[in-house]
Amino acid sequence: MIQQSQSAPPLLRFLGLACTVLQALGQTTFDAVVDGKATALVPIALSGYSGEVERVLKFDLEVAGFSIVSGDKAQLTLNGKNGAQVEGTLLDQGKRSLFARAYPGGNPRLQAHALADDVVQAAISGQKGIARTKIAFKHEAGRRNAHGETVSEVFMSDYDGANPFQLTQDGTISRSPAWKPGHRTLFYTSFKPGRPCIFSHDLASGARSPVSNFNGMNDGAAISPDGSRMAMVLSRSGSPDIWVSNLDGSGLRQLTKTREAESSPCWSPDGRTLCYASSEGGGSRLMLIDAGGGTPRTLQTGGIRGATEPDWSPDGRWIAFTRMGGGENFELYMVPANGGTAKALGAGEDPSWAPNSRTLAVVRRRGSTRKLSLLDAFTGQAKDLQSISGSCGQPSWAR
Amino acid sequence: MNRFLKVGLTSLIAALAITSAGCKTRPKNLTNLPNSDARAGAVTELQPSNPIGTGIGNGGRLTVPPGNTGPVDLNPGRNPQDTGTGTPLPEDPFTGEGDRETLKANIVYFDYDKATVKKSEQPKLAAVAEHLKTHANAKLQIEGHCDERGTEGYNLALGERRALAVRESLLALGVPSGNVTTVSFGESRPADTGHDDGAWAKNRRAEFVLFGGNAPAVR
Repeated sequence: MIQQSQSAPPLLRFLGLACTVLQALGQTTFDAVVDGKATALVPIALSGYSGEVERVLKFDLEVAGFSIVSGDKAQLTLNGKNGAQVEGTLLDQGKRSLFARAYPGGNPRLQAHALADDVVQAAISGQKGIARTKIAFKHEAGRRNAHGETVSEVFMSDYDGANPFQLTQDGTISRSPAWKPGHRTLFYTSFKPGRPCIFSHDLASGARSPVSNFNGMNDGAAISPDGSRMAMVLSRSGSPDIWVSNLDGSGLRQLTKTREAESSPCWSPDGRTLCYASSEGGGSRLMLIDAGGGTPRTLQTGGIRGATEPDWSPDGRWIAFTRMGGGENFELYMVPANGGTAKALGAGEDPSWAPNSRTLAVVRRRGSTRKLSLLDAFTGQAKDLQSISGSCGQPSWAR
Repeated sequence: MNRFLKVGLTSLIAALAITSAGCKTRPKNLTNLPNSDARAGAVTELQPSNPIGTGIGNGGRLTVPPGNTGPVDLNPGRNPQDTGTGTPLPEDPFTGEGDRETLKANIVYFDYDKATVKKSEQPKLAAVAEHLKTHANAKLQIEGHCDERGTEGYNLALGERRALAVRESLLALGVPSGNVTTVSFGESRPADTGHDDGAWAKNRRAEFVLFGGNAPAVR
């Protein structure tokens, strides 16, 4: 029962949608899921979809913690069709409609993403869809430039790897992309000036400015949630340390002062604390420090050693990180942000949280290349991004 | 029932208003970066397409009402101060083609996960310091490298730490500090692409690149 169509008069469309809203209000969300903390996959059946739309719906729902099953095993059923527009009716086990909606405009891919987001929101309480978000990442095509450097460029794409777009054309090393939260601005390191330099790149105008260009290392930029400050790794003091400045590079302040190497700073959502990796004392561990400076303290990771590359979930509850085990294989973990027992998430490295604080973009090594995957931290389900030739790394989820 | 209908209608109208406001300003296409090489398309097999404009930047926070999946602008007009100027950077004496051959015999190797210059490597540093003292115009870039057993973020910092440890030793041997810079490549430029102890040992290193002095002319 699709209640909205392109041909219906505007008033009827209004009324139709109003009825849909009413219908949705009368239902409860899926009860296998409590507070968005599902650990079991939600079985859902799809019917009526084909081609790209079907593929996109399946991908989106699997990333969000659903399993695609046949009708008799499903706890939810999504009926609909695709053509001029994508349509969908979500039914629970009692065949009651949770919603019925149509998605004109945009393109089939976007229509499918919008429907998938609505399924997630209707089925899982407190969860918002991520199917229309963007990621940025580093990409290597295996080419070396005249200086013998392995060329890497910064790309952005849809969250599933579709519509990749090359942001840098520097023909040298570009790496470590980081979004300014809520803005279409990316920060990244490029060797364009002959040495590593952090740039701020406005995506709307294409203009960019160098914002950190000190001798030695300028890398690992991370922008505070309120978009006012930048944390980064500089080595101008004689070893890689965590520094914080305003976004234009002014107001620079050194936070850590160790002889050893600090790396991968990330912000707590309230902007008060930074988490980073430190090799002080041998190995690598995660540390916390007040963003305004102070004494660093160790984040307890339940005895997991070799912890690097932390990323703080947008809801503030978790810190995901990579464990180095001394070999070629790396494992992902997440730990409560105030420390505790770390939960193993499987193989991978360099995690970046999605805005839903549930999905992680991660890197996985396949022989000599690296691929991006999306990992549902609650169910452990992982999906590879749409195949991109070459090697991808350093994902940063726009949030 | 009437009340519910009213609520539904009001929220729908509000949602439509938000949507149309969001679509008002279409994002411009990306322009080339200032000073960037015109190599579009040749760099990777990926084809730049559909530049920007669909819900970038705030993921779940942006509400797109059902029935409208068209391009939605993100927080229009909220980031005026971020339009960069592309200010040219100062001339860097370490750019251009460096000389990797002259000091090739002196590549410094490190133990796993360590940035300490081993005693066995000290004579190499003495030789490098001697070269720099006898070639007063030479500038030295020390490259720090790692094996693949660290994560990318960790290795970038570790590589820099290695390069800085070598630099520190050279300064202690009397090399002027202004003539020596460091750069970390992490694990991205292995000397040996193998995946065993032998390859890893060759990859944990600091390499020396000379600029100026008796090196080929700086570009």
